[in-house]
Amino acid sequence: MSFIEVKNVSKTFKVSRRRAGAIGAAANFFVPKFEKKEAVKNISFNIEKGEAVGFIGPNGAGKSTTVKMLSGILHPNSGEIKVGGYIPYKQRKAYVGKIGVVFGQKSQLQWDLPVIDSFELLKAIYSVPDDVYRKNLERFTEMLDMSGFIGQPVRQLSLGQRMRADIVAALLHSPEIVFFDEPTIGVDVVGKETIRAFIRELNRQDGVTMIFTTHDMRDIEKTCRRLIIINEGEKIYDGALSALREMYGTTRRLEVAFSEKVDLPGFENVTVENLENNKKRFTFENNKVQINELMNRILGEYNVRDINISEPDIETIIQKIYTKKEAEI
Amino acid sequence: MSLRPYLAYAKKIFLNRSAYRFDNVMGIISTCLQFFIFWEIYKALYGTSTDIDGITMPMVTTNFILSMGLGAIFSPDDYFLPSKIWDGSIATEFLRPISFKGRMIAENVGNALFNLLFRFLPCLIIALFTVGVNAPASPAMLALFVLSAVLGFGVLWTISFAVQMTAFWLINIWSLITIKNVLINVLSGSMIPLWFMPRELTAILNFMPFSSVYFTPVQIYLGQLSFEEIMLKCGIQLAWIIVIYLLGDILWRKGQKKLIVQGG
Repeated sequence: MSFIEVKNVSKTFKVSRRRAGAIGAAANFFVPKFEKKEAVKNISFNIEKGEAVGFIGPNGAGKSTTVKMLSGILHPNSGEIKVGGYIPYKQRKAYVGKIGVVFGQKSQLQWDLPVIDSFELLKAIYSVPDDVYRKNLERFTEMLDMSGFIGQPVRQLSLGQRMRADIVAALLHSPEIVFFDEPTIGVDVVGKETIRAFIRELNRQDGVTMIFTTHDMRDIEKTCRRLIIINEGEKIYDGALSALREMYGTTRRLEVAFSEKVDLPGFENVTVENLENNKKRFTFENNKVQINELMNRILGEYNVRDINISEPDIETIIQKIYTKKEAEI
Repeated sequence: MSLRPYLAYAKKIFLNRSAYRFDNVMGIISTCLQFFIFWEIYKALYGTSTDIDGITMPMVTTNFILSMGLGAIFSPDDYFLPSKIWDGSIATEFLRPISFKGRMIAENVGNALFNLLFRFLPCLIIALFTVGVNAPASPAMLALFVLSAVLGFGVLWTISFAVQMTAFWLINIWSLITIKNVLINVLSGSMIPLWFMPRELTAILNFMPFSSVYFTPVQIYLGQLSFEEIMLKCGIQLAWIIVIYLLGDILWRKGQKKLIVQGG
């Protein structure tokens, strides 16, 4: 039995369809129109204890809905969810004491109170023993470099500071599982790096099981080995991040700067583009074209000034997967 | 079950309320202002007569300071759940390993305590030195007044609780809450003392939940009720608390399954 089990889970929302404009609004008042939106369609996956799983998908794909069902906030319409022996939405009160959730878009801190007061409140709510609280607080504030603003009211914090405080708030009770729902949204590069390092350490050192949703693929690359991609409510990929690269990241791009103007014969399965300054770009799939053969031919027959080969970054791969899915429909 | 989390919430709301000092001063002034406006209106209505149907002006004054004072203390947050559903923060609330209803009560109690100290007491003191307030009929009646006032708070809270639960379906329930508050203000005797209502209406109102919120405690304070009547009235208060709570609880259970988290 896995630590987190999700079996054939679906969630449908009833959304009202608004007609545009004032007349449309009036029409809506008398004849409201509703339609069903399937936010999550028949999703299944298992996660083992201590795993860190990246959860990605375009906006509106159903990531947050899934996280909310996993954390006991929303009830699924059908299917089963089990986390560490609990059924989240049925045993909410007992269950949520064991988990931590960070919603990047929703703060759990008290707007008018200093950060430390919010922490004290959480300590009371979760009945965290004094020594555990002190230890966690000290360690986390140091790791996330928070001592400078822990006494300030939340409303006066910058977004990055607030996010770090929110992360600590979700972890004070030493949860076994943590759901991060876009914890780096709107945070600058340095802040993101701090948060990623912190999350990585939490997973590797403390063995905390985590699910991490984000739009920034670098978040995933730095923290998770496994990746689940969902789009339009359906799971479209579940596996290692590296495998994804092997599967979809076969495109290679070779840029060659020649010393003089050259005329090239056509190469099979390779597209050639002309760039300025006698530069040419060769694009091909590395499972169809032998790269050493191609380079041997170029380097052997022409004078080459510079050469550069690149593989697609993960963003491009993901983009390819998202759009491919749309093209099929 | 430990009470500590709930006490922490009560304390938090108390601290939150203290955060804006200017607002608190203005709050005291507005509570007093409200009282004096009603007092002036009734003084003008009384003119030179000492009593109307046996009700004297000092009794009316006492009714207003007590019912408005209690009103200022109680003021349950009608938007506690609706605002959280509206802005989606209900999601983080459900992540707490505690009872949401318990927390709702805790925050309301913390709020009531704050209002008692920073709304009611200042206004009572000001009223004592300006217009004068009747003393309670007897120490025993004062104790029963406190008991009945707590039950009245219970009635008011359960009404608010039940109305708020409809937000699971309706999301924006501002108008529903406004209707509820108008009914309470008019039918509870906090605007027009129920002494002055038509006799037939009073007979009905006596068994409605609204009148038991403010008017029952005031009558006890003034010594207008016999011991048996007090027991009956407190029984009615308790019965309403149970009935309305159970109704709200059904909505609460069904509503959770309907929950929609707005805004991502």
